[in-house]
Amino acid sequence: MNGQGQPVAFTGTRRELGAILLRGYLLMVLSIGIYRFWLTTWKRRFYWSNTEIGGEALEYTGNAMQLLLGFLQALAIFIPLYSVFFYLSTQSSTTAVIGYGAIAVGLWFLAGYAIYRARDFRLSRTLWRGIRFDQGGSAWGYAFRRFGWSILMLVTAGLVYPFMAGSLWRYRYANSWYGDRQFGFTGSWKSVAKPYYLAYLLVIASAALALGSAAALGAFKGGFPSARAVLVLLLGAVAVGIIIINYQAREMSRMFSAVRLGAAALAVKVEALGLLGQYVRFGLALAGAYIVLAIGGFVVLNTVAPDAFADGQFQPAVLLAHLRGSAATILALITGYLLIFAAFTLMSELFLGLGYWKLVASGTRVYGLETLASVRARDEDKALVGEGLADALNVGGY
Amino acid sequence: MAIAARYHDGQTAEVHAVGLDYERQGAVGAVIIRDAATRAEMARWTSSDIFAVHGRQGELRLGASGHTDGARLVISGDRDIARIRATLPILAEKRRAETGRQLRLAALATAALASVIVAYLYGVPLLASRIVNLVPIAWERSLGDTVARQMEASLAAEAGFEVCDPDPDSAANRAIARFGAAALAGSGSPFDLDITVVRTDVPNAFALPGGKVYFFSALLERAQTPDEFAGVLAHEIGHVAHRHGMEQLISTAGTGALIGFILGDMTGVSVAAGLGATLIDSRFSRDAERQADRFAADVAKRMDFQPAGLADLLDRVGEDDDFTKAFALLNTHPLTDERRAALVDLTRERPGDVEPPFTLAEWVAIRTMCERHPAGKTKTR
Repeated sequence: MNGQGQPVAFTGTRRELGAILLRGYLLMVLSIGIYRFWLTTWKRRFYWSNTEIGGEALEYTGNAMQLLLGFLQALAIFIPLYSVFFYLSTQSSTTAVIGYGAIAVGLWFLAGYAIYRARDFRLSRTLWRGIRFDQGGSAWGYAFRRFGWSILMLVTAGLVYPFMAGSLWRYRYANSWYGDRQFGFTGSWKSVAKPYYLAYLLVIASAALALGSAAALGAFKGGFPSARAVLVLLLGAVAVGIIIINYQAREMSRMFSAVRLGAAALAVKVEALGLLGQYVRFGLALAGAYIVLAIGGFVVLNTVAPDAFADGQFQPAVLLAHLRGSAATILALITGYLLIFAAFTLMSELFLGLGYWKLVASGTRVYGLETLASVRARDEDKALVGEGLADALNVGGY
Repeated sequence: MAIAARYHDGQTAEVHAVGLDYERQGAVGAVIIRDAATRAEMARWTSSDIFAVHGRQGELRLGASGHTDGARLVISGDRDIARIRATLPILAEKRRAETGRQLRLAALATAALASVIVAYLYGVPLLASRIVNLVPIAWERSLGDTVARQMEASLAAEAGFEVCDPDPDSAANRAIARFGAAALAGSGSPFDLDITVVRTDVPNAFALPGGKVYFFSALLERAQTPDEFAGVLAHEIGHVAHRHGMEQLISTAGTGALIGFILGDMTGVSVAAGLGATLIDSRFSRDAERQADRFAADVAKRMDFQPAGLADLLDRVGEDDDFTKAFALLNTHPLTDERRAALVDLTRERPGDVEPPFTLAEWVAIRTMCERHPAGKTKTR
């Protein structure tokens, strides 16, 4: 590696993304949800175009129509599956449980396929310095690997995780391309083994400590646990959360830093404190949004169904009676549901999604960028329509 | 003066610092891309081929059809961008055209979805009544058994589940079975009725798929005349004859699929899905109630009882009972003025010379079948 390397910069602002999202949610309501494909496209344009590597921004070349078509294709799988669901729901409970279990396992397998296909779609629609990224390999192959590893994860109670991470990261990057140049991955299970097993032990230790102290304080003897026991359990949960976030930061740093593109290399340093700060900010923002919504919702419900709150007590049955009688109450409830839902997605996009992207970008340097000038274009992967399954299964990230 | 820009030729990943000149030959204008240092011409883009792609604020990205897919000109700085836009008014035109195209696409997709929803709202109940005829009888019967078991278990846990008179040959049960068989006769229903009177303090009566009918003691106790009891029972038998339970199930499954499609989570079951499906289903159940009422009135042409007694009984339960208890009954059997009027109309069509559904002795037996007998006489099923 020569010299200082080039930084990766992110130039987008939270306000810009907020405007895109709010406009998108509004149009989604007007279009009975169809606009979500356009919203995804706008969101990606925002993220891609504001990510600058060596002075040149990325460009997202996909469009909403491709996503819509992909979704319609995925329906072809889901409608028969839905019929099976219906049939199972009418069966005896044992058959139903076995059937639902089989479908859940099948969906877990399909999710691997979907994740890989979605990554292919995004990479092949990413342009930088006039050259496209792309992904080869087989989505089914990836799905089988991921599925096999997850069975091993279950069997070994998570001990096999570093091996799984090494294998899947390698498969993803060894099959990624920039123009005619292939990515590589120099990491392996060794990259994350030490921090992972350390975190594993720490999680078990703090959980055992918290549960043990809470039990000593009489938390599990039936009845409502004492305030001190609850506090101990809460502290334990916070400790486990911090350990996991700290590990996540280390894994991201080490794994991303093992990505190579010919002679070019990434060096990523994600600060655990930065990652933790993101979750804290998200929690605060969400709490704030919900407090505002709760006050608004109480005022509205009091207006449309005042007697449900008579005598200072909430009476669900009276509210239900209003539901049957008044269109205004139904409208208020649906609006309320949508607002709660929107507030959650808005805050997680603004604070977790954007925060994560900015954190990784600002912690990244690229070495050997000058060696990429000789990369040549490859034929475009045009056969790929949309993300299909990924959209229907809700596994797409950005 | 040339405008400074960065040029990606789309063939290699090199970034060229270039200067842009505009040249006009007759009616055709072109942007000449020259190397910033040597002024050597690298490419020539005809202005009608040029389009703008999305870029971040303060950056204009241009591509050109007929050239390499990835070829881009990147212009930074508000002043230079303004100059380019002024020189190439076609950029604004194409942008407007593209926005219009996307808008039309989104509007078209929305209209398509809206028509699917409307077709669904009207089509699913209609379709469900067709599909229900394709459902094998044995399947519906076993489904009825499953639902009955689940319901009995949940009732046993909440309010207690106890069959009032477990002896099928008692006077009351024989009278009820005879009434049921007579009511169902001629409807062509493939199911055998299984009417059970259950002791519980929730006033309700309902029919399950496969011919099972439950009548709760709290509702029976409210019945002041045999007409009221016969009316409700005939109404429930109407649901069996029309296979409404199965129809409702198919319709609910269909609406659930639609809502999942709209919200985009085909895998998750969300609150909105449940709420929306309930709203759609209530449309369906109103039609079913009307059909069952008509069935009860038809039965009343063969046996002497007033089908409007059904409405009297529902009314009484609605007035007397604590709202939450009556809620389930009124929820599944909404009593509207319109429905009551229709029932009264149907009552008028009755001929006068038919036998009453129950003899006085039978009615007394039915009325008292849920009273506590000496220990040992009843048992929990």
